[in-house]
Amino acid sequence: MASPSRPRQRIKVTPASTVVNYEQDDDDHVHATYQSPNSRSAFEQVLDTPRASAAMVGVLTAIAFALRFYKINQPDQVVFDEVHFGKFASFYITREYYFDVHPPFAKLLFGFAGWFVGFDGHFTFENIGDSYTDNHVPYVGMRALPAILGSLTIPVVYAIMKETGYSTIIAAFSACIILFDNAHIAQSRLILLDATLIFFMSLTIYSYVRFRKLRYWEFTVEWWSWLIATGFFMACTWGAKVNGILTVATIGIAVLVDLWDILDHKKGFTMEHFWKHFMARAVGLIVVPFIIYLSFFYVHFAVLTRSGTGDTFMSPAFQETLIGNELLMNSQELRYFDVVTMKHKDTKVYLHSHPDRYPLQYDDGRISSQGQQVTGYGYDDVNNHWQIIPTKALPETGRGRVVRHEDVIQLLHVNTQTLLLTHDVASPLMPTNQEFTTWPKDDHSRHNDTLFYLNIIDAESDDPWKSKSSHFRLVHGPTRVSMWTHSKQLPEWAFKQQEINGNKNPTEKSATWFVDQVISTESPEGLSGEQVPKEPKKIGFFRKFAELQLLMLQHNAGLTSSHPYASGPINWPFLISGISFWTENDTQKQIYLIGNIVGWWTCVIALSIYVGIMGADLLARRRGIEPIPDAARGRLWNSAGFFLLIWAVHYLPFFIMNRQLFIHHYLPSHLASALLAGSVLSFILSDTVNYPISIVGRWTKLRKSEYADLGMKGPVVVGVFTFILFLMFLYMSPLTYGTPGLDGETVNAKRLLSSWTLHFAAKEIAEVS
Amino acid sequence: MAANVRVRRPATPPPGLPHVVPSSHKYPPTRQDHLSADERREAASKGYGPGRRSHSPGGLNITSGEWKLLAVVLLIAVGVRMFRISKPDSVVFDEVHFGKFAARYIKTRYFVDVHPPLAKLLITAAAFVSGFNGDFEFKEIGKVFENAPYVAMRMVPATFGVATVPIAYLTLRALDCRATTALLASIFLTFENGLVTQSRHILLDSPLVFFTALTVFFFVGFSNEDKKEPFTEQWWTWLTLTGLSLGAVVSCKWVGLFTIATVGVCTMLQLWLLLGDLRVSPRMWARHFFARAVCLILIPILFYMTMFQLHFLILGSSGEGDAFMSSEFRQTLGRGMEDTYADVALGSDITIRHLNTQGGYLHSHSHNYPGGSGQQQITLYPHRDDNNLWRVLNATVDSYEQYDYEHKPIVYIDHGSRIKLRHLVTDRALHSHEVRPPVSDVDFQNEVSAYGMPGFIGDINDDWIVEIEKGDRNDKESSKRLRTLRTHFKLRHLNTGCYLFSHKVKLPEWGFDQQEVTCNKNAVKANSLWYVETATKHPQLPADAPKVNYKIPGFLSKFWELQQVMWTTNAGLTDRHMYDSLPSTWPRLRRGINFWVKDHRQIYLIGNPFIWWLSTASVVTYMIVRGFLLLRAKRGYRDFDNTKVVKYDSLCGFLFVGYCMHYFPFFLMGRQLFLHHYFPALYFAILLSCAVFDLATSTLRPKIRLQIAAVLMMIAVVTYSKFSPLAYGNPWTKKKCTNARWVKTWDFACNEFFDEYSQYSGVSVPTLNRSTPMATIGGEPGGRAAIVVEDKLGQDGVVPPENEQGTAVPIGVPEPGRDVFAKDQQKEIKSQMRVLKDVPVVDVDKEISVVTFEPTSAAPEEQKGEVKLQAGDVGATGESEDQTRPEVIDILEKEIEGEDVDNYGKPHGPLDHEEAIADQVAHELYPEARDAE
Repeated sequence: MASPSRPRQRIKVTPASTVVNYEQDDDDHVHATYQSPNSRSAFEQVLDTPRASAAMVGVLTAIAFALRFYKINQPDQVVFDEVHFGKFASFYITREYYFDVHPPFAKLLFGFAGWFVGFDGHFTFENIGDSYTDNHVPYVGMRALPAILGSLTIPVVYAIMKETGYSTIIAAFSACIILFDNAHIAQSRLILLDATLIFFMSLTIYSYVRFRKLRYWEFTVEWWSWLIATGFFMACTWGAKVNGILTVATIGIAVLVDLWDILDHKKGFTMEHFWKHFMARAVGLIVVPFIIYLSFFYVHFAVLTRSGTGDTFMSPAFQETLIGNELLMNSQELRYFDVVTMKHKDTKVYLHSHPDRYPLQYDDGRISSQGQQVTGYGYDDVNNHWQIIPTKALPETGRGRVVRHEDVIQLLHVNTQTLLLTHDVASPLMPTNQEFTTWPKDDHSRHNDTLFYLNIIDAESDDPWKSKSSHFRLVHGPTRVSMWTHSKQLPEWAFKQQEINGNKNPTEKSATWFVDQVISTESPEGLSGEQVPKEPKKIGFFRKFAELQLLMLQHNAGLTSSHPYASGPINWPFLISGISFWTENDTQKQIYLIGNIVGWWTCVIALSIYVGIMGADLLARRRGIEPIPDAARGRLWNSAGFFLLIWAVHYLPFFIMNRQLFIHHYLPSHLASALLAGSVLSFILSDTVNYPISIVGRWTKLRKSEYADLGMKGPVVVGVFTFILFLMFLYMSPLTYGTPGLDGETVNAKRLLSSWTLHFAAKEIAEVS
Repeated sequence: MAANVRVRRPATPPPGLPHVVPSSHKYPPTRQDHLSADERREAASKGYGPGRRSHSPGGLNITSGEWKLLAVVLLIAVGVRMFRISKPDSVVFDEVHFGKFAARYIKTRYFVDVHPPLAKLLITAAAFVSGFNGDFEFKEIGKVFENAPYVAMRMVPATFGVATVPIAYLTLRALDCRATTALLASIFLTFENGLVTQSRHILLDSPLVFFTALTVFFFVGFSNEDKKEPFTEQWWTWLTLTGLSLGAVVSCKWVGLFTIATVGVCTMLQLWLLLGDLRVSPRMWARHFFARAVCLILIPILFYMTMFQLHFLILGSSGEGDAFMSSEFRQTLGRGMEDTYADVALGSDITIRHLNTQGGYLHSHSHNYPGGSGQQQITLYPHRDDNNLWRVLNATVDSYEQYDYEHKPIVYIDHGSRIKLRHLVTDRALHSHEVRPPVSDVDFQNEVSAYGMPGFIGDINDDWIVEIEKGDRNDKESSKRLRTLRTHFKLRHLNTGCYLFSHKVKLPEWGFDQQEVTCNKNAVKANSLWYVETATKHPQLPADAPKVNYKIPGFLSKFWELQQVMWTTNAGLTDRHMYDSLPSTWPRLRRGINFWVKDHRQIYLIGNPFIWWLSTASVVTYMIVRGFLLLRAKRGYRDFDNTKVVKYDSLCGFLFVGYCMHYFPFFLMGRQLFLHHYFPALYFAILLSCAVFDLATSTLRPKIRLQIAAVLMMIAVVTYSKFSPLAYGNPWTKKKCTNARWVKTWDFACNEFFDEYSQYSGVSVPTLNRSTPMATIGGEPGGRAAIVVEDKLGQDGVVPPENEQGTAVPIGVPEPGRDVFAKDQQKEIKSQMRVLKDVPVVDVDKEISVVTFEPTSAAPEEQKGEVKLQAGDVGATGESEDQTRPEVIDILEKEIEGEDVDNYGKPHGPLDHEEAIADQVAHELYPEARDAE
């Protein structure tokens, strides 16, 4: 910027120590009646007593447990994603390494629950519909865990509303939307991660609300403990499922808004004060959660010490830390003149060659070198054998004969005695890539073209080349292409084998190969076959963590294949489609994940009302009209706005995700929309709010308080609504609990929207003309 | 107040502020010290303060000296843009597409492209005026032009490129920057290598950038007018021009939508501020609102649609774009379908088309599924063919009585009719059963096959129920019974309740890449709708029976259909290209695009690094300074009381919004992206850098400011000349090239150039890749494109090119961006080969088959007397017909063998025939090529 003409003056602000205002301007809109606690309706007063509130929450919790535990042993079969999460739990018990895109916290809990109820881990949850009782799996114990967490979500939701300053009846309303929701119930009765996610997410919100209410008691013990609690639960949410990162983002945004307010000079705080706040939040909401999150992985690695299904996802170095891993057992250093077979890491084909030649001209008119074909072949064959030929002088014996990183080598095809070669001729399928072929070993005219650099991935110079565990790229000396293959097949003339070509990117990630087998060797160890189990190696926790975290990210992005029950985010709030979790043909039983349509549509309506009110308010204020009393407006902006933020942050990012999406990804947002529905209902019923609700600080100038008064209409409206909600829940419950079985006609009747793909629907019997 | 700032020019209110009553303030401004601080701030933010003396149109105060200066700049720009525009005389990069499209326009052959037509129409106009006949095909990069007025065509983008320069000058002047600043911007734009390269070839980006610049200019002019007095004649003119120009941007490329977004955001801000101005009555506000809505929304839409109207008017005949359009649409493209009989009854021979995909007709051919039941394939096939013919037969529950449609009264197909569909050529019935289909192997899908054999009337799994979904509004009959073209229906399989279904999934090679047909239990309705396209004359129908044809769609439906095709294809452009790049690399200028390499010369799209990085730096500086100011404001510093800060804040803010709107949306796009997508954003960035320059030098004396500007311009010109050989395809030396490689990731091919300039002088420019067509087949007007057999062996393709020295990563060959619409053309594989001599496959272990039937038990030698084949004789349940069946088979086989002689090896269908001949010619010409195979 250009230099200012005159140093600008800071405005003098009254020091912070004296008075902190609640609101900037006075509120004259509220009728005097509401400002005295005594003039509220008697009913409202009774309801708002702690005892009534406790009774309410007790009843709700009891119902929640009843609904979630009702026939929890039904069905005694593997349902939907229990295939995965049940399996992962059993891996924790057998301590076999596995790989999953979700962080381990929720699965660790399942593993713990399984261990606690005496599950031995030998049932593998192979298919949906496998029987638990036949295999003696204590599945009820494992299902109890999400059921408990799901039930406990209800009092937390109630408490959030209560702490945010809504009356008992409104808090009960929000809780009921979750309590009688078929989707939440179906999801928390099975071995699935979402109940854990939602429970900890609601706890995070609760803690944050408590923390915010203490804002005039900054840096007290209570303030710190709610701050740390927020961070802790946030880490648990994130650790339960990868979607939990959205909760972290929500809190992050809320904190930024909060800090922005503290920065405002009109509040009169000094910069030191601001930095103090900033650092406190950095510790409580970044450092602490990160440590917690790391600790989940620490436990994860500490428990999973044996080789298992997840090995192949990991790098060789990682694999060698697992007991009984194949790499650990069979990896050996390679020496020159060893005969080996090589496999492509991604497509698992062998590097192969045979005497047949490339055709002179391809279909598109391009022309080949007519050299011997080099292809990728899926099966074991003597034509896969290649010998490693040195290009430098070697000692007679000893370590000098070991092949090392960045050595220049030739590869001799043993059967045809020809050397692997590539040159600037377009490959059969891709004009941009180089053709691979072979050349007689005695003909030295093309010597340079047969030279390849051995680039072992993540290796230091002089690291030896090992079978199995060294992933390498073979980079051609003169043209710097890397040997590469892709899943496209060559035509008939190459027996539909895979094309091998030279990729012009020498560091192409998918051009990774490894030595699968050593056919013959002169190594003193000989062909390692039956060796004593080796000690697993050790690598640092942080290296393991970084590797796993990266893989999880990549795989999460890679989940793009289609699934019959996947649905687009736009359908979710309206319950356009559900997920068929489980069916049983004999009894015509089925579990279909679908929400309570009354509750969900209420939430959608509430959302739109909220947006409408706030939009109208903004426009009106722009024109100098102030239609909403300040206290109510503040509540709508701050608390309901926070709920809207939670809803939006947990929902909107799905629109830009390309991965497979299911309706249960909306459940956290649905919870937020239930909270918002409570706020909106409260506003519709009355202009009054409980105000102020933050804990009054030492220097806070006291304002006149105000109390919410919904009168009789609150309980009546909520009562009627809850009744309808409950009826709808009952009506849909056979689909939620998977029992009893339904005949075709009933299924048709329960198919409220034609887009629900329920099973066993009755068919109309066609008239024959 | 900023009293001792040297104010050279009265500060103007920022664009985007509400209109202000023309102030009577004089320059120098009257002192406002009597106002309190808050009042002063308010006054400043409303644009009071030093007023202007008079108002010129659009706020442009340009002296006559400046006009002369501008003329000089324009001349320089012409020199830079058009220097040797005729070189190279061969096709460069995407000229492959856009040149070809011009040829298509001239030939009036229908094509589809992802870009709207305006820029292509302009290029075509130039080509047409210069006498291009559309014969040159623009086949590949490096092909030498023959009979194509490519210079005239290149002049179009070049002219737009030149015109961008004065527009930028005027825009900055209208934004109340100094003349020096505006001059700097125009010089920067003139010497930006990337913009120069892009505007010298037949590409769409240069018109796009021009219209973006024009829109910004008009909008700035409009905002200036709006601040002075709304609803004057001037005001309306500027507003309308903005709208027209917006229409032009979006008619060049869809990226123009970002320009619309920019103008939209600024307009919303204007309206928001107006709304807060309580002196503006709601009525007045509504006037403001509707004026903008009409001019900035309605006019662009009308303009855009007009362009498409022109597009449709010109492209009247069919071409390679047909395959992407619906049948109704194709009816407007010359080669339409003949009228067909409207009534469908038992016994009609019909072709059935899938409604939702362009997969084509329900088709079968005598090839079997390799997996599943192993029965004969059912597919969707896009071309007209005898194998698409099906006969509607009666199916009843009790006796399978065949309806004697030749003699008994006609029976129409109603809702709920139970029918069988008999494939005429192979004489098998459309069949489905509880077997998973080969590709969509999921448990709610059943395989659909053709099953049966001549004479065997089939089992209950051949029975389908017609469910009429909807008829045509104008044809009442059509919603009651099946009518050709007018009725959309579903076919429900009687036994399993699934619906005949198809989707955009191709069968593998064994299915000739045709589209899969299944029977789906959870069918999406849209994908299970079918209609009858043609029906042959039923024997019982009178000769004058009503005939129907596709309805000719109106402009709106054609327009809308094309938009959808463009949209889906645009979203599908996700393949990697050798020179594609990620948006995050653009501001750094990490890599360019190889446009053309030939004869030791290269054209490589790369920006002027100095200008490019300077502009990026100014964007970053703006963000940092603005963020800092924001924090300061929050902490109570009153920077925004300074009119200078306010002026530059709104000026830079406007340009920054433009930059963001033209840059960040690319991060959300999954499609293939190139460096040239950054150009509109670059335009804003360059203007922003000049605005920053204006601010930074605002306290300096004019002379010093001019000197600084001159130094900057010099650096820009020097950098430009350093890289100019890559822009013009001029001779260069290896050494200079290597020296110019400032960043490791710039991958222009230095090895292509000679070591010395002198080596260029001796070389006459050979035309290496030229291939002379040896024969041309087909290509009659209105038909399909000609097939050119080329002398491919004439090139030195057999010998691999000499090895390059050194181990540098070899650069890629220039290749054009992909034209998706060209891709599907080779896929027309016929399936006419007949394998009829096979023993009919009988599905023995099928559970549901009611009728079991053993064809092998029949003795074919007996009773050869009967020739008459009546379906009624053979139908029914298979108890009494054992005697008649064998000779039915026998005779049918004979008949088919007879046909075979004609058909074998001579597939019909319009294109296939030509291709076969082309193949033959090619093989005759190059026997050795064939031997090698």
